[in-house]
Amino acid sequence: MSAQPLQLGSVLAHEEAKLLACVHCGLCLEACPTYVQTGDENDGPRGRIYLMRAVEEGRLGADAPTFARHINRCLGCRACESACPAGVEYGQLLEAARADLTNSRREHGAADRLLHFALRHIWPHPARLRLAFAVARTLRDTGLVRLLRATHLPHLLAPRFDLALALLDGSRAVRLTEQEREPTTQPASANITTSRALLFDGCVTEGLFARVNRATARVLALNGCATERPRGQVCCGALHAHGGDIEGARRLARQNIEAFADDNAAPIVTNAGGCGAMLAAYAHLLAADPQYAERAHSFSARVRDISQQLSVVSLRTGAPINAPVTTYDASCHLLHGQRAASEPLDMLRAIPDLEFVPLTGSDVCCGGAGVYNLIETELSMRVLDEKLKHIAETGATLVMTSNPGCHMQLSAGARLKGLRLRVCHPIELLEASYRKLAEKSSDAGQETS
Amino acid sequence: MRKVGYAQSGRVVYHQSAESLSFFFPRVLPVDKLLNNLCTIVGSDSVIADADELLVYECDGLTQHKHRPRAVVFPQSTEETAAVVKELARARVSFAPRGAGTGLSGGALALDQGVIIELARMRRVLKVDVENRLAIVQTGLVNAQLSRAVAAHGLHYVPDPSSGASCTIGGNIAENAGGIHCLKYGTTTDHILGVRVVLSDGSVVDLGGTGAEAPGYDLLGVFVGSEGTFGIATEATVRLVPLPLAVRTLLADFADVNDASRAVSALIAAGLMPAALEMLDGATIRAVEASVFAAGLPPDAEAALLIELDGLEAGLDTEAAHAEAICRKHGARHVRHAKDEQERKQLWAARKGAFGAMGRLAPDLMLQDAVVPRSRLPEVLADIYRIGAHYQLRLANVFHAGDGNLHPLICFDLRDKDEVRRVEAASKEIVQTCVEAGGTITGEHGVGLDKKAYLPLIFSDDDLAAMLQVRAAFDPTGLCNPGKIIPTPRGCGEARIIATSQAQTPAQQTMPTANAMRPSVTIQTPAHNAFAPDAAQRQLAALVGDKNIALACDEQIESTQHALVVAPANVAEARACMCLAARDGWTVAPAGACTWLDAGNPLTRADIFITTRRMTRLIRHEPADLVATVEAGMNFAAFNETTSRAGQWLPLDPPDDGRASVGGVVATGMGGAQSFAYGQPRGFVLGLRALLADGRQIKAGGNVVKNVAGYDLCKLFNGSYGTLGLITELTFKLRPRPAHEATIIVRAPDVETLINCARQLRAGQFLPVALELLAPALATTIGAPGATDQFALLVRFAGNDASVADQAARARVLFKSARTVSLELVEPDAHLWRALAAQPLRTDWQLIWRASVRPSNLSALLVALHQAQRDHVESLSWHAGLGDGRLRVMQTIETDAPHVVATFTSLRDTAHKLGGALIVERAPDDLRRVSDAWGLSAANARLMRSLKQQLDPHELLAPGRFFASEVRG
Ligand SMILES: Cc1cc2nc3c(=O)[nH]c(=O)nc-3n(C[C@H](O)[C@H](O)[C@H](O)COP(=O)(O)OP(=O)(O)OC[C@H]3O[C@@H](n4cnc5c(N)ncnc54)[C@H](O)[C@@H]3O)c2cc1C
Ligand code: SF4
Ligand code: SF4
Repeated sequence: MSAQPLQLGSVLAHEEAKLLACVHCGLCLEACPTYVQTGDENDGPRGRIYLMRAVEEGRLGADAPTFARHINRCLGCRACESACPAGVEYGQLLEAARADLTNSRREHGAADRLLHFALRHIWPHPARLRLAFAVARTLRDTGLVRLLRATHLPHLLAPRFDLALALLDGSRAVRLTEQEREPTTQPASANITTSRALLFDGCVTEGLFARVNRATARVLALNGCATERPRGQVCCGALHAHGGDIEGARRLARQNIEAFADDNAAPIVTNAGGCGAMLAAYAHLLAADPQYAERAHSFSARVRDISQQLSVVSLRTGAPINAPVTTYDASCHLLHGQRAASEPLDMLRAIPDLEFVPLTGSDVCCGGAGVYNLIETELSMRVLDEKLKHIAETGATLVMTSNPGCHMQLSAGARLKGLRLRVCHPIELLEASYRKLAEKSSDAGQETS
Repeated sequence: MRKVGYAQSGRVVYHQSAESLSFFFPRVLPVDKLLNNLCTIVGSDSVIADADELLVYECDGLTQHKHRPRAVVFPQSTEETAAVVKELARARVSFAPRGAGTGLSGGALALDQGVIIELARMRRVLKVDVENRLAIVQTGLVNAQLSRAVAAHGLHYVPDPSSGASCTIGGNIAENAGGIHCLKYGTTTDHILGVRVVLSDGSVVDLGGTGAEAPGYDLLGVFVGSEGTFGIATEATVRLVPLPLAVRTLLADFADVNDASRAVSALIAAGLMPAALEMLDGATIRAVEASVFAAGLPPDAEAALLIELDGLEAGLDTEAAHAEAICRKHGARHVRHAKDEQERKQLWAARKGAFGAMGRLAPDLMLQDAVVPRSRLPEVLADIYRIGAHYQLRLANVFHAGDGNLHPLICFDLRDKDEVRRVEAASKEIVQTCVEAGGTITGEHGVGLDKKAYLPLIFSDDDLAAMLQVRAAFDPTGLCNPGKIIPTPRGCGEARIIATSQAQTPAQQTMPTANAMRPSVTIQTPAHNAFAPDAAQRQLAALVGDKNIALACDEQIESTQHALVVAPANVAEARACMCLAARDGWTVAPAGACTWLDAGNPLTRADIFITTRRMTRLIRHEPADLVATVEAGMNFAAFNETTSRAGQWLPLDPPDDGRASVGGVVATGMGGAQSFAYGQPRGFVLGLRALLADGRQIKAGGNVVKNVAGYDLCKLFNGSYGTLGLITELTFKLRPRPAHEATIIVRAPDVETLINCARQLRAGQFLPVALELLAPALATTIGAPGATDQFALLVRFAGNDASVADQAARARVLFKSARTVSLELVEPDAHLWRALAAQPLRTDWQLIWRASVRPSNLSALLVALHQAQRDHVESLSWHAGLGDGRLRVMQTIETDAPHVVATFTSLRDTAHKLGGALIVERAPDDLRRVSDAWGLSAANARLMRSLKQQLDPHELLAPGRFFASEVRG
């Protein structure tokens, strides 16, 4: 069990001021994907805050099923935060509520217990985590997962199991261009290095999307930014914090702060919206920790998404890559947590002739939300359906998104629905464009020689 | 009054549900029988009955009032809603409709363990009709989503409350929500064309929706703003408006609030009609600038005006320059013009985010909502600041200045009990101040639970009783959102009490007399008594003087013999006459200038006609308010002449040959050609006083342009034709008189060509104020130039010189390419329109009727008309409003009555099939006896009858005009 005392409503009680900031105006309602789906005030931000307040005031038990149900049904996408004129910090309230839920004497379901087991006994240990991801990759890359899904057995057995497999399969690399053969030439780094940055790997990204991490490093290098991947870095703790294990998250946060302490001036660059928002929230997470509060504060101030980092340099232009019609779906935590709205799109301007169609509701969650899709599957799928409908309207067959969870959710959706839709990280596309450029210049080089 | 924030001390402890819900399981099925039945109707996942889950439904946007409902039901359609309500009616359980719960008056709460009917799952757009510029939507649709859904067609839904991102169309209808753009474009009531309503017994009725005009009382008008106490609106037909062609947004900042408020009055008095005119005071500016909404407002300013002008590009810069000059003249330090759409959006975001930005300054905020006449803004604002200072409160003002709609915001901390007391005292004083300045207690947030106690500040017991009677007509069961709006000792069932008591006991009351010296007598109201003209004449003469009584035959009134026409000089005399009639059981036909006493079905009996023709005083006209109050008998033309001296007018052209009274215009509710651009008379009545059948005098509405206190009974009298009361006084919202008017007349040998011309015009960048199509002979009669055998299209433009010239020039080019025969520009053009309006009053027409359909259906109706009248085309004349779907047909009758009745009936069928209506304006008596003048739907007729039954139980007023009398003398 966590080190927290079993006092009901204790974590929320600390957040009274944040609860009071909500003036109950309801301007956040339509921003909330779960409210839009159900129309139930309990499933909207204002209602959830009301429930939290009821717990904080002792009108409702932290172990009340209603509290658990509706706090769990929250995607944690923080769209409500961007909509709120009063500046309510919903994300932090949610974490407090989840912590109170976890600490309450409520009986936890099987899925919940499984999740917490994994978070406690696998995630904090890099070796175990690496092993787990290695197994997952093997299943994925050998095609076993696909084979299994093709039998329709998983679906018959339990649709949720099928979804889990589809999610895993959805993390595979995809072809980014309409060309027969993708460019393979590695772009050379820039001649002059003008800046440096520390890269945050992220556990799922490094486990299933290592290609995105490599692409990030290469694009930075090409734009004159030397990078380093500090050793000793661990999972950002987002899954823990969102799952109610605040202490677990704090432990990981301290480890990361130590790991990135060597170079205190360099920005910390991430490519996963979820991780980035979490790292940026360390300041709040450790605010009450006398030893770490200040360090956490300066750590958080250094965190940038790759798109934000690139927005301050004059970005090199790549080569046209003949990509299919493309659209972009914002990662909620990138958008609402890190407030990176235009930067990811600006970054794509470096790709000439890209046929880009904006996505209606790109600021709305896709329903992935970490492990939400495996727990609140029904609601998650309803939110996802809406998203896929909008993607279909764009006519795009390639959708970009900047978070592994969203990435897998979208491509799982495409798989479950049999849609012709590929998913990638925007940095992958930019890197492909740079590779094309390198290929061209090396072709040119060969011709002249 | 609004309080947001931390729940008051006395923490309520609710019991918790015992069931331990498994994580993955759906909700537990309710055991209660009623709940079971509700689940059968809507499905168990559409019913919430768990006590903990109901917690969030205990309040709306105003957290001060808390009532936990018994259950929440989520219907998905009108049918489901009706079934749910029927079930509740059977179980005698009350209910409250709810939209998004952003209301600020505690309206969407279910008291006494009632059930909330939540419309959030009814959010479909059912139809977008681009040509007729309307949409049909389920009422749970969110306001902003509606505009988003139609933006691709270049249209939008105008009312834009600051809560538009989440509030629902149903909630907007219920509250008659306003917004930033209602100064020029009106509030919700001006943008709702029809609603489908589930009444408290589960029956479904369509109100309005039949085109420009629905026959009978304006039930739709009184429903809008009824705060969910008349029934549940499940579907709405809403008006869509083209996105503004051109916009200029100005920000003027002042060092003194008073200067800014004087500038507001000056802008209006100068005849500018901004689309929006908002004010932020210094405290607000600084709060906004410190928030994410910062828009570069000067932090040292004490006030800023945000002004938006829209319209045609031509002439708009001149208007903007004019507005700037006025601001500067009144002390503006800088006037900034938004240079692009982004800057404009930023400025408006700053305005809309002001409330939230202020929210960051203190744990709690109290947002008041009151309206004062615009011209009183400087002194009222000063008073408000004085009150704030007196109670040592931090107070800011950010509000709809153009409407005089104040929103004082008070920052406080609910945990500080002393401060809370001061806030309460201050806000009461503020409301009182506004009322004393001639204003009202709420302009857009509604009364709900929160302002019930303030209602008596502006309404008398009689006014409130009349409101309760109207409520009882809509909701005889008393189950529909009880306990809201009208203060009563008991929380619920009040309407029911009225419903039964009214019908049985005759009204006991004191009879006021014209002469105060005479002792008052207590009278009883018996049902129709025999009428002895001679005795009556003597009694009435004592009240109004001998020479003000005449025999009806003198006035050429056919339908009644021996009737007397009484002309009181003022309200007191009129009231005395009404009381006398009520006491003696005489029937009364209220009248204005007596130009049109035979409207509707024949009166079954009319003992006296009370005419307002001697009541012609102009009581008040304040140009800076754009408001005028007059006695109902004032001549309509004279009224417009008077107001036009201040550059203002009532932009209506009802049937009028120069004699019509303003009261008559309202009682018939008829507009004319310009209603396409300006709307019907219903939109211009801000307030009225009327005498009811029992002699009670009531007041409805008020003197300010925005007012949602109590029910909008003004609407009910609109189109009531004297059957509900005698209107004695009217307060109108005026408009700046356009600087320039001109009419283009296009003539062509066929109707289709002209209809096409009109269609092209509407699709282009034009803002015509009238688009009237005339039969050839009629066009010639009114003096339109061109060949006498050709149809004519009259297109009127109005506005500043540049915009009229620009439109006229472009229209010429547009029409030249069409196959038109002639094209003339007429200016000045007033004589044309006056002549057209006078047509229906010409005595040589024997049969006049008008139909109202969607504009796109007009040609179908015209075809039907020409087919039916093939052989009698010469006897027939007509004109049609192509913009709003009106058709008026005037004819002489040469053939036999049965043929006329048959064609007429078939045309009415056609109109009904097209979703419209057909009303007989005038017909010979024999025809009136065999065919109904109105063609009301059964459901509407039922509601109208019960309204009549409530307000005039003995059918003393114009009996038979709508329905054959049920009560016989
Ligand atoms: C920040 C903020 C800004 C606001 N700004 C404005 C503003 O600028 N202008 C303005 O006018 N108001 C404003 N309001 C008030 C509020 O948003 C409006 O009154 C809105 O119309 C309420 O809509 P709703 O869907 O939330 O209705 P609810 O709050 O759910 O209900 C309001 C009332 O309508 C009734 N009702 C709801 N739906 C129906 C239906 N389908 N049929 C019959 N009755 C129904 C309810 O019973 C209740 O009495 C503001 C509120 C907030 C919080
Ligand atoms: S969270 Fe913000 S937007 Fe939502 S109800 Fe509270 S104050 Fe309003
Ligand atoms: S975080 Fe997302 S799902 Fe949760 S309340 Fe906010 S908007 Fe809704």
